[in-house]
Amino acid sequence: MTLGDLVLRLRALMFRARVEQELDDEVEFHLAMARRKHLDAGHSEEDAARLARLDFGRVGSVKEDCRGVRGINLFETALQDIRYALRSFRRSPGFVLTAAGTIALGLGLNLALFTLFNAYVLRPISIRDPYSLYGFTWTDHQGRGHAFSWEEYQQLEKDNTAFSDVAAVQYVYTRVDGHVIQGQLVTGNYFQMLGITSELGRPLLPEDGSAPGREAVIVLSYQAWQSMFGGRPDIIGTKVMVRGFPMEVVGVARKGFQDISEVPRDFWAPLTMAGRLQDGPDLFGSDHPERLDIVGRLRPGHSVSGAKAILTTWSRRITAQLPEDRKAAGILLRSKATSMPLTPELLIMFSPLAVAFVLVLVLACTNVASMMLARAVARQREIGIRLSLGALRRRLIRQLLTESILLTIPAAILGFIISRVTIDASIRVMFATVPQDMLELIHDVPRPVDWRVVAFMVFAALASALLFGLAPAFQATHANVMSSVHGEVTSDLRPVRVRNGLVIAQITVCTLLLVACGVLVRTTMAMSAFDVGFRTASVIAMEVAASSRRPVMDALASDPEVDTIAAASAIPLNGAVATVIIRADDGPTISTAYNDVSPEYFGILGIRILRGRNFTKQESASETPVVILSAATAQSLFAGREAVGQILHLSGKPARDVRVIGIAADIVTCCIPWGKDPALVYLPTTTATSANVLVRVRGEVEAVRRRLDMRLAALAPGAIGDIHSLDQYRAAGMYAFRAASMIGAALGGLALFLTLTGIYGVVSYFVTQRTKEIGIRVALGATTRTVVGLVLTQSLRLTAIGIGLGVGLALGVSRMLASNLVFMRGFDAAAFAAGVSLVASSALAAGYVPSRRAARINPIQTLRYD
Amino acid sequence: MEKRSRLDLLQGTLDLLILRTLQSGDAMHGWAISERIRQVSENVLQANQGSLYPALHRLEHQGWIEAEWGVSELGRRARFYRLTASGRRQFQREAVHWTRVAGAIGKVLELA
Repeated sequence: MTLGDLVLRLRALMFRARVEQELDDEVEFHLAMARRKHLDAGHSEEDAARLARLDFGRVGSVKEDCRGVRGINLFETALQDIRYALRSFRRSPGFVLTAAGTIALGLGLNLALFTLFNAYVLRPISIRDPYSLYGFTWTDHQGRGHAFSWEEYQQLEKDNTAFSDVAAVQYVYTRVDGHVIQGQLVTGNYFQMLGITSELGRPLLPEDGSAPGREAVIVLSYQAWQSMFGGRPDIIGTKVMVRGFPMEVVGVARKGFQDISEVPRDFWAPLTMAGRLQDGPDLFGSDHPERLDIVGRLRPGHSVSGAKAILTTWSRRITAQLPEDRKAAGILLRSKATSMPLTPELLIMFSPLAVAFVLVLVLACTNVASMMLARAVARQREIGIRLSLGALRRRLIRQLLTESILLTIPAAILGFIISRVTIDASIRVMFATVPQDMLELIHDVPRPVDWRVVAFMVFAALASALLFGLAPAFQATHANVMSSVHGEVTSDLRPVRVRNGLVIAQITVCTLLLVACGVLVRTTMAMSAFDVGFRTASVIAMEVAASSRRPVMDALASDPEVDTIAAASAIPLNGAVATVIIRADDGPTISTAYNDVSPEYFGILGIRILRGRNFTKQESASETPVVILSAATAQSLFAGREAVGQILHLSGKPARDVRVIGIAADIVTCCIPWGKDPALVYLPTTTATSANVLVRVRGEVEAVRRRLDMRLAALAPGAIGDIHSLDQYRAAGMYAFRAASMIGAALGGLALFLTLTGIYGVVSYFVTQRTKEIGIRVALGATTRTVVGLVLTQSLRLTAIGIGLGVGLALGVSRMLASNLVFMRGFDAAAFAAGVSLVASSALAAGYVPSRRAARINPIQTLRYD
Repeated sequence: MEKRSRLDLLQGTLDLLILRTLQSGDAMHGWAISERIRQVSENVLQANQGSLYPALHRLEHQGWIEAEWGVSELGRRARFYRLTASGRRQFQREAVHWTRVAGAIGKVLELA
């Protein structure tokens, strides 16, 4: 196609009337000239005109050929189809409303899900060149990531590897007025590397982080500035207390930037302040603590795989001198372009949800497909006539598909509204149901309607148009021309098969969704009711800064509402626990979770010592090399032999031999979804050295927790990190499952509703179609019961097939999921029974109403129609 | 598009005739072109004058001729066609090709 051609085509398209007029004029000129010639040759006026037309040929078809040359026919027939579809929509507004509404429901839900997915996973965060930004770590032989020491970071920066710019960051947090304030300690180049400007004041600069002990400066996030300081414009220059240390606010980062980590940050401070804002060995001291995360910007022109190769070599070289278990085995390079990295794990987690949502859209589409099919059958005669008049089948299918696509336009608009409402509502529900302490961890990212959302919408709308429009279009135009013209509409119809297929598909999907939802709800219930092996009630856990441990302990000991105090390095149910490698002399080597606890730990949580004894106060204070094993650990190490008295070899810093002095009952230390710890050892410690403290309190836990928090904060600002009751930890760990159950229940309900209306529609239609037949049966003496039975048998047969298929699918799915989740059984009979009976009874109800109508058919009236 | 295969030969011939007619360099309207072709072809192409117009429009779309509204010798508004530079080249190519084909067909017919 040349440019000139394009111009001509566009002209024809845009100035259609003018181009048509010109064609008319041109042809008319030719005819006028021809007439003139014939007149000159001596013909009469009338003959001249006739001869001119005869020479010319059929004016209409010539013009049509000329139009064909313009190549905009496709467009014009599309216009015709649209006009035709709109006319037919005007005749049946009820159909349009129901169909568009049904599709909108499915589209809206999926759009809502996609909008959220897009906001967190696809949409790049607003920093300079987000796609070249990567988090980097090396992994050991067990695939565990590595936190860097200051020296390692400096080495990486000096060695000038695959990164053009590399920053080290460390997470710190503190609490102000009972709120958790999360911050990021960063190297001085951080803000420049990300290209983050400031809303107020200045960002952190390389000078700020040039040497340890430089002036204490801090940059607030816009959000924190607004919520904690009311957006005060005179904030610059004021001092803010962070962990009891005054920091000068030098700037507010620009709106919308909440750091590139998964959890939003409220402030940034130079990494050189680490010693002041955090416990433990000095980052720059001789202990070389490993605490830093690395973020780097890939050198321009470096591919990810190239960078991986360079960094792997580098990591191997750096760790070459280290002991085997600390050597780098591989590396991890993770894109920081979006709020959450798009990883295979994320996709695996996300896909069941996505599938459930898509299935609801499929349900909506099958509903509408049934409606379209019924409509197409009603239009059988019209279509038959058009076919017999020589309309091409292709053309008719195109026309019917045009109708489907047109239907998706109001559906998409409505769906968009539904998606916004759904998102707003679900965020409101989330804020209302999420445990308080989790709120601060939620990254509220902007959820704009960007091109990805629009593209998804268009794609989903077109896909659903094909899904619900294609089968009816083919089916409808498949008619036998002769019979349909004669009005014998029902005799030669095969749509029954297609429609039955649709109903079966609907019931299958619905059964699958409901059973899956039932399994999910029951799994969640099982987890909520699960006996974690200890008493969570009335226990509060808190994290105490080393610098203020003494006054805090004294305050707790003298508090009238505090009964017992215990120490633990891992707070049970907190979702994280450290592991160590352990070996028995003539037994296996296993990796086990460990918890450094004081003797009071077992009493405060009511964990029974099954054999042997507890730590003594003295063993705790001197950290004697003794160990208490959980029952499961004893079993896997000594398999029935007496464990107490045996010696175990612990590897790690420092490697040592420990003697088993007792066996404790199994509990859940890490997380409920994983069940009781498969391996856990306790090592002795005291409240004087432990980072975490558990207290059993008298009275209402939440009130005590608040009071303690206030009192301790007043006593020693910044002394207390997290402070929560164990029940709160438990609730927080369960929230994901509760949320999934809620979503599942909502989807299941919707699926049931769609299936109900679908079955109702199809059975009603079936009754209308067979009115004549049923009339004859009634006239011949069929009773109400037989007619109801006739209609119901039909729908129940489909239901049975659908349920069978659905159960089969659900079995497969739950087998697959059960292998990953301790609490999920491969076959949850109760959930299956509940799902199946719900679907079956709904199908029965949806079929019963129209069947009663069938039974009331008046034979005289029906038979009179013919 | 769909009828193309059946009309290919005829169309090609007509196109060639139009290009040849406009070869003189003057702008001509459809009627004049049709009359010229009729005279030159000794009335062979008399019937179905209408088919000239789709051909003209097609050549215009291909950029081989260009059209302009003007006033005819009798004072009526008419659409005048003129050969473009690329049309001239196209005619030369086609003419050579056509002569060769015609020669070949002639030989085949003689043989028969």
